[in-house]
Amino acid sequence: MTCEDLRDSYELYALGVLEGEEKREVEAHLARNCAACEKYLKDALGVNALMLSQAQEVVPPSRLRRRVLSSVGQQRAGWEWVAALAAACSLIVALWLGVEKRITDRELANARATLQQTVGERDRLEQAVTFLNQPETRQVNFGQGQPAPPRGNFFLNPRMGVLLIASNLPALPAGKTYEMWVIPKGGAPQPAGLFQSGPQGTAMHILTGAVDSNVTLAVTVEPESGSPAPTSNVLFAAGF
Amino acid sequence: MLARLIPVSLALALLQVSLRFKDDGDLARRLKARDGGAMRELYDRYGRLVYSLILRMVRNSAAAEDLVQETFLRVWNRIQAFDQERGALGPWVVTVARNRAIDYLRSADGKMSAAALELDQLEHPGRFCDFEDRALSLDRARRIKAAFEKLTPHQKTVVELAYYEGLSQTEMAERMQQPLGTVKTWVRSALKALREQLTEAAAV
Repeated sequence: MTCEDLRDSYELYALGVLEGEEKREVEAHLARNCAACEKYLKDALGVNALMLSQAQEVVPPSRLRRRVLSSVGQQRAGWEWVAALAAACSLIVALWLGVEKRITDRELANARATLQQTVGERDRLEQAVTFLNQPETRQVNFGQGQPAPPRGNFFLNPRMGVLLIASNLPALPAGKTYEMWVIPKGGAPQPAGLFQSGPQGTAMHILTGAVDSNVTLAVTVEPESGSPAPTSNVLFAAGF
Repeated sequence: MLARLIPVSLALALLQVSLRFKDDGDLARRLKARDGGAMRELYDRYGRLVYSLILRMVRNSAAAEDLVQETFLRVWNRIQAFDQERGALGPWVVTVARNRAIDYLRSADGKMSAAALELDQLEHPGRFCDFEDRALSLDRARRIKAAFEKLTPHQKTVVELAYYEGLSQTEMAERMQQPLGTVKTWVRSALKALREQLTEAAAV
């Protein structure tokens, strides 16, 4: 075919839809660097571009512009700042919430501990009042007449146990505690519980369980974990 | 079928696009230099045209957005082979866009795609240079539009099928259930009419 014969094939060739013998002819002409065919191809590319530019105009969504620019790393810096700022704000809020939660948790734990302590005190006082109200409870005091004595009372109920109420207790050294003893007549002292004094040197201690009615009660200062037998002098004692 | 194709959207009241900006060469140089903002400018010049063309072809806005992104990414990745002194950026961008949409349509039809490689070669940026200054003018775009509107319905259909659906003449004959020779006559006469309108314009 001559160049002129192929004149009507170049648009289709440039569109990639030419086929068969016509396509092979066009390729053969172009491979020879035929000037006429080069010009025809150029004209065809122009016609095609003009035809393709005539689609009904539609405005693309604005997100498409951002998407295209992001894909080649040319999105506006402003958007990156917004994203970074949003991330920073989120982090600050998250940290603040975390701190707030920790503070709240701690306050809650303190409140719970205080409540448990208060409930424990109340139960002990109720127990003491019940103890005192029993007709078989007997009382013996101690420390009367001493210069700076621990003073107080032992209450013994053979069925319920022993209640100790004391004041003027000396401050304990670190690592020490008070320990009460039940000493049967002619027997060795039996451990009867550990207790601490309050800030004013007062203390209340209860030993629950049956106790012989003819015993001596004593208190010594012992190591914090308690002792199976007294290791120091008796601080105060009283016998029933 | 024909009713869907014939009244296609070439009925533009006014051509609002231009295929050649006078400083396209400078823009191409900045794209090659990866100049900040160059891609933004390219999109602002051709984004609407590319989206309109692709949407016209694939008729699915989500797919069209994907293909627009693909188009600009391809231009970005191949700009180094573009000759900013002699090249015509608009025709190249439009051709890349059209070929992305054709690839999409063909793959959707399951016709993958020895033709994809061929399209790839045909849209090489080196081909889109040394156009005459007038070749892509607004006046010529108006003329080709007027020439298209004068075509017969059959001629319009075959032109549509070639440009917007990427069908070969054999495929057009099957689609239209017409003899191949008849289809070739329609194609030939239609393209000749379009081309001659431009030739007449050049001769004026």
